[in-house]
Amino acid sequence: MSSDYEYSDDDGDYYDEDELMDQDDQVANHSADSAPSEEEMDIDAFDLPTKGKQKSYHIESTTLSKHDLERAMDENIEYIAGIFGIEPEVASILLRHFEWNKEKLTEKYVDNPTGINAEAGVSAKPNPPRSTTSGSSRSTRRTTPASSRSKKSLSVEGPFVCPICFDDTQTRTLALACSHKFCTECWTAYATNKIRSEGEFKTTCMAEECTLVATDSFIQSVLATDLPTFDRFKELLARHFVSCNRKLKFCPYPECAQTVSCPAAASKFALTTIIPIVNCGDEKHKFCFACPIEDDHRPLICSVSKLWTQKCRDDSETANWIKSNTKECSKCQSTIEKDGGCNHMTCKKCKYEFCWVCMGPWSEHGTAWYSCNRFDEKESVEARDAQSKSRASLERYLHYYNRWANHEQSAKLSMDLYAKTEKKMEEMQLTSALTWIEVQFMKKAVDEVFRCRMTLKWTYAMAYYLQKGNEKELFEDNQRDLEKAVEDLSELLEQPIDTETIGALRQKVTDKTVYVQKRNEIVLEDSAQGYLEGRWKWNTPVEGFD
Amino acid sequence: MDARLRRVNKEITDCKNDKASNVQIELIDNSPFHLKGTFQGPEDTPYEGGCFDVDIVIPEAYPFQPVKMKFITKVYHPNVSSASGAICLDILKDAWSPVLTLKSTLISLQSLLCSPEPNDPQDAEVAKHYMTSKQSFNDTARYWTHIYAGGPEVSGAVKGSKVTQDDAEQDEIAMAGLEKAHVDQFESLGFPRSKVIEVLRRLNYRGANVAKINEDRVVEELLK
Repeated sequence: MSSDYEYSDDDGDYYDEDELMDQDDQVANHSADSAPSEEEMDIDAFDLPTKGKQKSYHIESTTLSKHDLERAMDENIEYIAGIFGIEPEVASILLRHFEWNKEKLTEKYVDNPTGINAEAGVSAKPNPPRSTTSGSSRSTRRTTPASSRSKKSLSVEGPFVCPICFDDTQTRTLALACSHKFCTECWTAYATNKIRSEGEFKTTCMAEECTLVATDSFIQSVLATDLPTFDRFKELLARHFVSCNRKLKFCPYPECAQTVSCPAAASKFALTTIIPIVNCGDEKHKFCFACPIEDDHRPLICSVSKLWTQKCRDDSETANWIKSNTKECSKCQSTIEKDGGCNHMTCKKCKYEFCWVCMGPWSEHGTAWYSCNRFDEKESVEARDAQSKSRASLERYLHYYNRWANHEQSAKLSMDLYAKTEKKMEEMQLTSALTWIEVQFMKKAVDEVFRCRMTLKWTYAMAYYLQKGNEKELFEDNQRDLEKAVEDLSELLEQPIDTETIGALRQKVTDKTVYVQKRNEIVLEDSAQGYLEGRWKWNTPVEGFD
Repeated sequence: MDARLRRVNKEITDCKNDKASNVQIELIDNSPFHLKGTFQGPEDTPYEGGCFDVDIVIPEAYPFQPVKMKFITKVYHPNVSSASGAICLDILKDAWSPVLTLKSTLISLQSLLCSPEPNDPQDAEVAKHYMTSKQSFNDTARYWTHIYAGGPEVSGAVKGSKVTQDDAEQDEIAMAGLEKAHVDQFESLGFPRSKVIEVLRRLNYRGANVAKINEDRVVEELLK
């Protein structure tokens, strides 16, 4: 990671998202010097046609450690401190107040430094309620608020009674620049409560209506004996910094302290063309930078993936089922499901007798029982049309949903299969001449199947929303080829393994793995290109598309 | 001694010694962390003459966390829930400062009674009433003060003026904060009107509560 990486550039982009796109190439250079990931190495080894070229579905990102993040914050602070000639601690409070937007801060601060200082809690509000405790020694405070912001004031006149704990035995007191004195113990308890219970990094003076904010060094001094809480304080500051910066995200995996920078995904507009699946440096910590869906939902963009997951969760499909499988009694409107028997229906509720086929009253059927000859009448034709439309929509959804769910299920099962096979392989190592490295082809194949099934899974969600046409057909051709290849490979993996045939099996599996990998590449690459070219059209309104 | 206990003890003592503020703090049970505060309704308000009890719970992290307060006495006020007594006041939430005391908080409650904030209501029904008809709101608030807080009997404008029998009844319903339709509904079941008003008022049969309280429950109460 190179140190000249400028975080600061982004602040203005809150207001002009399109500008973000210009910065992509700048960052691309930086990740080039990081070690190539395992995935990239594999591809190189198999010598795919995309080798050397930047794949358009691969979104650049860089990883920042805790230390990098702190340095980025410091750079911002030093920048502001340098411009206005103020203490870094003050600059830090100002930046937090402006949510790390340097441009906005600079603009406002130039206009009205006194007002901004008061607003951010750097200096006391003009005419503070208890400014009567004036002393000549503090007269310099206003002019240089930074240097004398927090100071220890030793109590000299008589026993000090802390206005919070009413303890008159306390000798150590502290006050911010506002001179509201409290005992150190109360300060510690107060700051601990703010940080631990409220998760608040901004600790104001305890006095009523005093908005002065404690500096970091003041916090450090009151938490001197409680380092874990001070660390938590620093973590809260870092979290705030990351949340203010649209190019940064914490790795969502538990216990992971890494931050990912993905400038390409920082604007909403960019998300209509890219799917920012990134990782924090650890291959297993893969996540979508822009949305909370846990899967790698390539090749479907975030907004449409969200539509799909919502649809799957909604019970609207239950209503669809009811619509397709039931009818309303034409007299009392009770919902009826026909679960067998003849067409002569008697409503349980109102005892109305009717024909299930034409929905007309049974009495009019005369003697033509059990074979409805009134079938072609206009009214009943219309009723059936409405019903079949609803049924068709349901069937369409189920077609995609079943395949979507099936790939998820199969992916899970292939992991189980792998666990079983691994055991068998270990046994084989002991009984045959094969070495450990020679039986590893299985793992590679299973990993690839898993990855491809994830892709396949989301291609079904994508196909559900794609508008009919040549583009969709081409997409589905690619999908079909990948699916076929994956199913073939899966079948190979299920085959019994024995010492005689393992050589041939190994060859077949390895070949097939390469092929499957290539097909997956094609699907991802083609869909990513499609987004960039604006080739995909949706059959439902999607945010960001016309 | 525990800092919290010392502080609370000191606050209770201070409050006892201070006769001028008209604020009392008493223990409810044996714990010094569960108290009852009492203050007088402020003058020149519909709450004048009433005596208001407040339930006080001192949290573990007091005074670094705000005290929990709610009215025990029923109060008809936009920022106080007419059902639970919950209070909407900034210093009980994010504007709390450790230098605030139980006494100063109770005095703040007293001044909240003087100056309602209908734009930030706790009880939307009451706030609506306050916004639409100040006079009618004041009448109801005064009536509640009389019934629940031992305030003076409602007199003057409403009862003194010459009104028809029907108007007087309607006022009685309005002052209890009830809907005429609801009173009529139960009266039509054969219960005397005054009894219906009394029961519905006790059950707080108003606004969103109407949906929550089963009609059978009302009838049950009426039959008692």
